Amino acid sequence: MINGNRKTSYLEDEQILNNNYKKAFVALMVALAIALPIFANDYIILMASLVGIMLIAVVGVNVLVGYTGLLSLGHAGFVAIGAYAVSIIHGLLTGWGIPDILQPWIALPGAMAAAALIGIVVGLPSLRVKGIYLAVATLSANFIIIFFIEIDTFAQWTGGRLGLTTPDPNFFGWVLDTQREVYVLIAIFSFATILMVQNLFRTRVGRAFIAIREKDYSAEILGVSLLKYKLTSFAISAACCGLAGAMWAYFYAKILPEQFELALSLQLVAALIVGGMGRTMGPVFGVILIVLVPEILKITMGAIGGGSIEAAQLRAPIQEIVFGSLIIGFVLFEPLGISHIMDRFFRALNRWPFARG
Amino acid sequence: MQFVQFLINGLMSGAIYALIAIGIVAVYKSTRVVNFAHGYMIMIGAYLYYTFAVLFPELSWAPSWLSGWAPEWVIDGKNNAKMFSPEAAFYDWIPDIPRIIFGLIFAIIGSGIIALFIERFLMRPLLGQSNFSMIMVTVGLISVLSGFKSLFWTGDAASVPHLTPNPAFRLDFFGTPIFIFGANLMSMIIAAIIFGYIVYWLRKSSAGVAIRAVSEDQSTAYSMGINVPRVFAQAWLIAAATGAIAGAVLAARDGVSPSLGLFGFSVLAIVLMGGLDSFVGVFIAAMLVGVLEALVQWQLGGTWVEIAPYVAVLVVIIIKPHGLLGSPEVERI
Amino acid sequence: MLSVKDVQLSFGGLKALQGVSFDASEGEITGIIGPNGAGKTSLFNVISGFYKPSHGSVIFKGEDVGHLKPDARAHKGMSRTFQNIALFRGMTVLDNIKLGCHTNLKANVWSSLLYFGSAQKEELKARKEIEEEVIDFLEIDHIRKAPITALSYGLQKRVELGRALAMRPKLLMLDEPVAGMNREETADMARFILDAQERFGTTILLVEHDMHLVMDICSKVVVLNFGQQIADGSPQEVAHNQNVIDAYLGQAG
Repeated sequence: MINGNRKTSYLEDEQILNNNYKKAFVALMVALAIALPIFANDYIILMASLVGIMLIAVVGVNVLVGYTGLLSLGHAGFVAIGAYAVSIIHGLLTGWGIPDILQPWIALPGAMAAAALIGIVVGLPSLRVKGIYLAVATLSANFIIIFFIEIDTFAQWTGGRLGLTTPDPNFFGWVLDTQREVYVLIAIFSFATILMVQNLFRTRVGRAFIAIREKDYSAEILGVSLLKYKLTSFAISAACCGLAGAMWAYFYAKILPEQFELALSLQLVAALIVGGMGRTMGPVFGVILIVLVPEILKITMGAIGGGSIEAAQLRAPIQEIVFGSLIIGFVLFEPLGISHIMDRFFRALNRWPFARG
Repeated sequence: MQFVQFLINGLMSGAIYALIAIGIVAVYKSTRVVNFAHGYMIMIGAYLYYTFAVLFPELSWAPSWLSGWAPEWVIDGKNNAKMFSPEAAFYDWIPDIPRIIFGLIFAIIGSGIIALFIERFLMRPLLGQSNFSMIMVTVGLISVLSGFKSLFWTGDAASVPHLTPNPAFRLDFFGTPIFIFGANLMSMIIAAIIFGYIVYWLRKSSAGVAIRAVSEDQSTAYSMGINVPRVFAQAWLIAAATGAIAGAVLAARDGVSPSLGLFGFSVLAIVLMGGLDSFVGVFIAAMLVGVLEALVQWQLGGTWVEIAPYVAVLVVIIIKPHGLLGSPEVERI
Repeated sequence: MLSVKDVQLSFGGLKALQGVSFDASEGEITGIIGPNGAGKTSLFNVISGFYKPSHGSVIFKGEDVGHLKPDARAHKGMSRTFQNIALFRGMTVLDNIKLGCHTNLKANVWSSLLYFGSAQKEELKARKEIEEEVIDFLEIDHIRKAPITALSYGLQKRVELGRALAMRPKLLMLDEPVAGMNREETADMARFILDAQERFGTTILLVEHDMHLVMDICSKVVVLNFGQQIADGSPQEVAHNQNVIDAYLGQAG
């Protein structure tokens, strides 16, 4: 409960940004996102784009893992589907002589649809099993997807282990051929994804997801079809990851199968747990932390090691250890994630000086 | 008749799967935690074995008998034995015994310490919490263990001594030559013995009964005077010891490398196929997957082998959600 | 309205229900009583579709619903509460009750993602109805934003009733609605049940151990014992039935 926050109509009470802290925070983020391409240097643009790409994916993971309560350790597979689908579709369209300006409008929905479709297939076991079984099933799916991307049989489309290059997308005649330009695209899609997913949870569809997480038989008795909504959740979740993959492909212009292996799946889940599962802002906080950690490590280890080769070699393992420790630490000590820490902070701020805590 | 060769290869690797699976099932039965990081514990075990059986004996201040123990009779025996005969393999193996034992002991002790640490400081605080939290902690462990591995060991795909002599046998099976490597055969026997012993121990010993009681109901077992934390520690120790042995066996067969960690995921798939709480089911699944992999290798080629267990587990989960012999968890409404 | 015909159910060798048949007439309250383990909750699970009976049928509004899953039966107008409260503990009271409306709302994935437009209109309308018809009615307006975990047992039972009512069910099944309540809370709950019947004309099926409640509000009572139906009829008839007295008090001699 936030003080000084009176509502006089149901419309007001059903707003997403139902208090001033949220409004201020979102305004700040939007302003920052707009200001970045004008003022920031390339390094900051790179970081911001990385945050945006990961954010789209983690918002997707949040739909499935956070809200629907279906544990998946295979979402990197869907990111891979999106990235490869967008590249392959561009290739095909160019082959058929479709003009550049039309291509993204086919390739982007195509990538999302492909990911959603695979998501539904991978989600099929969820109708019969939960928890650990599903985690292993999705993990297996991730291995299988990467295997089929790497295998020689399909190498003429996927490029096998050597990867693929993606053409620069052309939006309304504007070719996004620098990372700064692709950043704008990523920023727009990040905000759109968060907003749309948030909308979902204001209506019956999102509520049905949460009901399945909380008590599936109770959801069934209220008319929530487990079959329909579990698969819908998988589809939406995978489509977000597919979009993230497409952005990834546009941003880096070169994709390799090994980028979408288990390590990425674990990173996505780590970001969600650290940020707070089943919370709107969870993915935002989590992704910022997960993207910042390697950079902080790079800077501190650079300072300590003075740029020696040994120090540089130690960075990757230490980064792995820090990621793992973050997951373990948050599960043990703050299972509700940074979102919960922020909640407590704002509550204290709101009540100060009348009450604490 | 090449089929028989592949069948035998499959059974031999299936036995190693079964050995690894013991660790996952033992921990699940007593603590209800599915250890996603078991493969990485095995990897650490393999690297410890590599360190104490290969790297340590090479140090200048290590006692010389450790790197090669060669009394007179071994040298004589070796000189008299025919090249590539089982005797020669046996005499080749004798000098390695000290470092094999040394490496194995330290691998087991090291893995045991890690397992006890995990149990005491990461798992026990989560007792009674949701399954999800525990799974996520073991998922976090994947990154931590793999990071520590790269921190301490940079070497890749190094070879380590086999635990047993490794002669190659050539058998004739209705006119088709069949090759069997002694070490693989012996690992199969070792795995089967350990597996059988642990199943027997769980059935007959009082500690085993305690583990089974805890697996039925933790709080009831606690109130009946069973020391539940000790049971948890025991289960993790069993997992660590069998994991270290399996790590050594695998390292000798395939070489020590980080890919040993991924091996754990195949075994996880096998465990789910067999049924998480059924040793017998898991043993059958391990053998089936071992054979399946061999057949896939025979028919489709080596690259397809890596996804065989994953495809198999997906098929089994869809058809029989709780595995071949696992018991479904009943939810009361 | 609802008729259960010769329903049999067994778990392995255990016969949970052996040939239960009764009718619940429209707009009335039918009570199901019986000693512990008599099969009352199993019967509810058969009617709502969680268990598949080995024999017999469940006819709802003249249609055999035996092949339907629980969610499809909800769409037909069946609603229920559970013996050990099955609210969504991580959600607020309001969200729980909104979920009760699930079958009355129409938004699909696309309109939900967009929200503005049809989904928003529908949500606001549902919110207004919930506030006026459920939250006011059950006198829970002070806790509408409270998480379920913060509520007392009695209030949780009331919220669960609210969630079931939000669906505007044709048939409402209440599994021990006053179990574990004190006399005051029981009286409140009885009032809500009767009001709901009167106001919405809902047919109600009630499993309960509290004999006073059953005798007071039910117009018909079905008695089960060890899975067998030993009596049915008006409360007075049942109260004087020798089989029922034997089952509850033990046979003389």
